[in-house]
Amino acid sequence: MNTTIGSIELKNPILVASGTFGYGEKSDEFSDVNQLGGIITKSITLHPREGNPPPRIVETASGMLNSIGLANIGVDRYISDMLPKYDDLNTSVIMNIAGSSLTEYINVLEAVEAVPNSLAGYEINISCPNVGEGGMEFGVDCDLTSQLTSELRQRTDKLLVIKLSPNVTNIAAIAQSAEGAGADAVSAINTVVGMSINPATRKSNVYTKLCGLSGPAVKPVGVAAVYKISQSVSIPVIGIGGITKGVDVVEYLLAGASAVQVGTANFRDPAAGLKILTEFHDFCDKNNISDLTELIGGLRDDT
Amino acid sequence: MRRIESGKVLSNHKLAKGMYRMDISLPDISSEVQGPGQFISLTVGEGWQMPLRRPMSIASVENESISIIYKIFGEGTVWLKDRSSGEVIEAIGPLGNKFSLDKINGKEIILVGGGVGVAPILYLHDQLSEDNRDHLLIVGSVTAAEQFLEHSPKAGIHLTTDDGSVGEKGTVMTMLEILADKVENPYIIACGPKPMLAAIYKFTTEKGLEGQFAVESYMACGTGLCQGCVIETTKNFNKEHSYHQKYSLVCSDGPVYDINAIRI
Repeated sequence: MNTTIGSIELKNPILVASGTFGYGEKSDEFSDVNQLGGIITKSITLHPREGNPPPRIVETASGMLNSIGLANIGVDRYISDMLPKYDDLNTSVIMNIAGSSLTEYINVLEAVEAVPNSLAGYEINISCPNVGEGGMEFGVDCDLTSQLTSELRQRTDKLLVIKLSPNVTNIAAIAQSAEGAGADAVSAINTVVGMSINPATRKSNVYTKLCGLSGPAVKPVGVAAVYKISQSVSIPVIGIGGITKGVDVVEYLLAGASAVQVGTANFRDPAAGLKILTEFHDFCDKNNISDLTELIGGLRDDT
Repeated sequence: MRRIESGKVLSNHKLAKGMYRMDISLPDISSEVQGPGQFISLTVGEGWQMPLRRPMSIASVENESISIIYKIFGEGTVWLKDRSSGEVIEAIGPLGNKFSLDKINGKEIILVGGGVGVAPILYLHDQLSEDNRDHLLIVGSVTAAEQFLEHSPKAGIHLTTDDGSVGEKGTVMTMLEILADKVENPYIIACGPKPMLAAIYKFTTEKGLEGQFAVESYMACGTGLCQGCVIETTKNFNKEHSYHQKYSLVCSDGPVYDINAIRI
């Protein structure tokens, strides 16, 4: 069940989403990461970030709000401590990059490009809602998305995926800007802006007040985003949002995704990706589907 | 080694007002438990209505089963309360670190538990008793209905209630101040609600006493992936799983900390 994203052949369409699997180096005590289609590692910025003060998370109905604030080890330690570990993995590792300025994104990517590594490519986070300067200004603006994508494209031949925010008026237009500037693929959706208040204390349940909603609650938002994007671009779309079951993968593929990322489900079950993969294979076997192209964009128009 | 395991509920009963104890058969996880302080994380509810696991401190390990003590707090704990013997619950564990007893030789240990914070404290109390190690235990609550131990100062077990309906009247602090003054070289180990820990923190800092806290935190994964359960630190927890300097991950660096290593 291979799927192709740009120049990369994934062994199956199920990846794990950035920020839900650490740096991809330690969840193997619960599951064999090499069986996954790929791993997107936690967002890396130029300098280490402590992240936001607690509380950072709260559960909501069929979902969770988070405001971690891009806590990460910074690109230097990513290069020295994490990159070498990926040489031994037999799955595609995609590095997620975040930044607060065009220069920061470029500096991070250039630092990684300057050293030999086995990364399959980059996913560019232009849509973190949880920090004042989380690249969000790029994610909501077609021209900035285009400029950023173009600058990064000039500096790498590796897979370049732009991760899109649902917190925009027209997500398809942003996707078109990324495509026009040379992105190999887009992924959607990042978290949906949300908020939760404790009625008894009248305080926000999360320190930053506004934070990002993920989990099954956002799946319909993700499926709709993938549908809208795939109708507007010809590059592959990677679907993200609330996937917990094999049939959720099918749903995203039918809407137009070529691959998907499992996110919040990893928090409940670090082996979620592989369980979902097994369920997905079972679905395909039962329905005599031998090639993913039979599913991708296969939404029927008759109701 | 941390494991994911589905286990049968062996018993689930009320201990006191709003507080319950559940024993779950978990042979794999129980064989890996290193000691008091560690926790397991349980899935609650059917489907994904409540997606996040509930971290539960281990209250005892016996015959391949693990006991937890939980307080009715919201929908998740109500769901736990309604489980009957024989039903299956999924757990991940053991997670986190344990109380460190090596460095406290020659000191008199005073254990302090409040609310569901009694779970790891009772586990430690049992272990110290088995080892014939002298120690004192203080368990505080608002009123007698929330207590399930017997007030037995002769045996070193001191209950406190805000309304004086059982044990000493007052908070755990009233008792702690008395006992810490009585013994030669007190060492405080506590787990409970934040205001209780804050009061103990102030007390130990002023008196220059040492001790350990097991802290509670909201968690999404319990395994270090989500970075959600941070606590502010005074030390640098710059480890492989937690690279922070200002914050430490409770699930991986904790939940047990030296009192002077964290800011409450």
